[in-house]
Amino acid sequence: MLEIDMATPALKRLVGPHASFDQIARDLKFSEGPAWNRRTGEFFYTDIVGDTIWKWKPGVGHEIVMRPSRFANGLTFDQDGRLLVAGWGGRTVWRMEHDGSITTLAAHHQGKKLNSPNDIIVRSDGIIYFTDSFGGLCNVGMGFEDVQRYIDFAGVYCVAPDGTQLRVATPEVFYPNGLCFSPDEKLLYINDSRFGLINVYAVHNDGMLGKGKLFYQAVGSETGIPDGMKCDVEGNVYCTGPGGIHVIAPSGKLLGRLRIPDHTTNLGWGGDDWCSLYITTYYGVYRTRLRVAGVPVW
Amino acid sequence: MSWKFERLAGPYNRPLGGLAWDGSGMLFADTMESTILRYDPRRGRVSVWRKHTNRTNGIALAPDGALFGCQEGSRRIVRYEPAGSATLTNQRMPDGRVHNHPCNLVLDSKGRIWFSDPYNAEAAWGPQVFGKLEHASVLRLDQDPAPQRRTWTIERATYDTSNPRGLAFSPDEKTLYVSENNMASEGRREVRAYPVFPDATLDKPRVMHTFGADVRGVHRGVEGLCVDADGCVVAVGGWSRSGPGPLVHVFAPSGAVLESHPLPQDLPNNCAFGDGGLDSLYVTTAEGYLLRARRTGRTGRSMMHDK
Repeated sequence: MLEIDMATPALKRLVGPHASFDQIARDLKFSEGPAWNRRTGEFFYTDIVGDTIWKWKPGVGHEIVMRPSRFANGLTFDQDGRLLVAGWGGRTVWRMEHDGSITTLAAHHQGKKLNSPNDIIVRSDGIIYFTDSFGGLCNVGMGFEDVQRYIDFAGVYCVAPDGTQLRVATPEVFYPNGLCFSPDEKLLYINDSRFGLINVYAVHNDGMLGKGKLFYQAVGSETGIPDGMKCDVEGNVYCTGPGGIHVIAPSGKLLGRLRIPDHTTNLGWGGDDWCSLYITTYYGVYRTRLRVAGVPVW
Repeated sequence: MSWKFERLAGPYNRPLGGLAWDGSGMLFADTMESTILRYDPRRGRVSVWRKHTNRTNGIALAPDGALFGCQEGSRRIVRYEPAGSATLTNQRMPDGRVHNHPCNLVLDSKGRIWFSDPYNAEAAWGPQVFGKLEHASVLRLDQDPAPQRRTWTIERATYDTSNPRGLAFSPDEKTLYVSENNMASEGRREVRAYPVFPDATLDKPRVMHTFGADVRGVHRGVEGLCVDADGCVVAVGGWSRSGPGPLVHVFAPSGAVLESHPLPQDLPNNCAFGDGGLDSLYVTTAEGYLLRARRTGRTGRSMMHDK
């Protein structure tokens, strides 16, 4: 059963009593990248230190998608159902085509190698946004080939689906990690693992961002930091943090926390109704069911 | 002859670490800033040599011009390539565990990397999913000679250390000098000479020098050392809190103390010979000074193996 900390009664509407809490995978070395493939009904995730992209089908089991993965991190799907990967150790953003081949979408900014792409989302017009924090260059057990950092800032970038027009959406977050759009795509939330906060940005029509505003500061004595982050269809923001997952109203007010019994790294909506929430932690993957649907992955 | 130390740079108010003479300038580690700096003695100026070094401390130049560095913040030895990249060796012990926080390193003529691997109070970067080893030892990285592989494996070299710091080879590479600097009251603070067997394992060490304690506390032992062209061990250590204060010691291979020179700044961390005749001694300190004594009457060994 899912344990919760209620900060306001409003959480009850989102999380029912006795919500299920199942362990999907165990004995991982650092799981991340939760992404539901609605076309195949499969759940994809990564084990960064285990250097593997996995998928899991309810009733069928786990299967390796790619190993080694160059320490792949965040995953999502585009409008054509192709897997998009924030390549982390491999320092690129890439797409797995339907025939299994790999297309590199971003590798350099102004001639310099990217840091280590961390998490990734797609806007309805196909533009891909990703965070380029530098943990893949310095975290223990995640480096690959070249670990020199060349870009002094850690950008949030956007890039067209054909890999052109790589632009810095914002350079102002110290350690950008999770990112998600509000359901209407007018707002982009970006969190900062180092300072434990979430910023919110107005999104302009051309895809660029306005100036960031502090949306939420995560506090708590338990293990966990802002890392993965997603919205539900009502615009509530779900972000990893101390103790598990913080559920935050669009106003920035904490509604409560989903207590996760391991250091939580990311979360992703799934299931036919998008009411399942898949949760990755250092060492495992869990699933719960909520009363609200998440913003679907394409 | 007493050595006169001048201050070349600092204080940076944070520890400076490893040093390496590159032929015309002295590279030195600004560890907590994750930067390697370079002092140019001709112009008397410090410039940034490499950024984003993940708390690199000890450094050593390879004959091909690459610089090996101990990344305390990433728990690994990397190779800073002349073209600008940083490539990996291997941070995994044969059983898959990750070694501790490497501190100093030295290369031998066979291209092996010997490094001290103590614990560090400052955690490594990122998620703490790797425990530390139950021992803090000198470790050795060996590279597979097959050109198509070039993979590295780690071997444990010492079994009797708890805080190994500085290390250097005798000119014939038959002796590895290691400073053990355990600051606990029951800890040992020694400069040791380990005979090196032909298979690169070490025999039990000879203790060359022991550091004690007094009413003010334990005497800080040696943090960094190097070997000069005569095979003497030049070592820095000590502090103002107890004992004789911050010093440079010069030991004969027997352990006989040939010279000792007080340092004008506290908490010396490391030392290396540099300048045109390799007869200046450069010293870094924990408070962030780069010091130099010229015309020491001693000469450093060239980074190119001179056997």
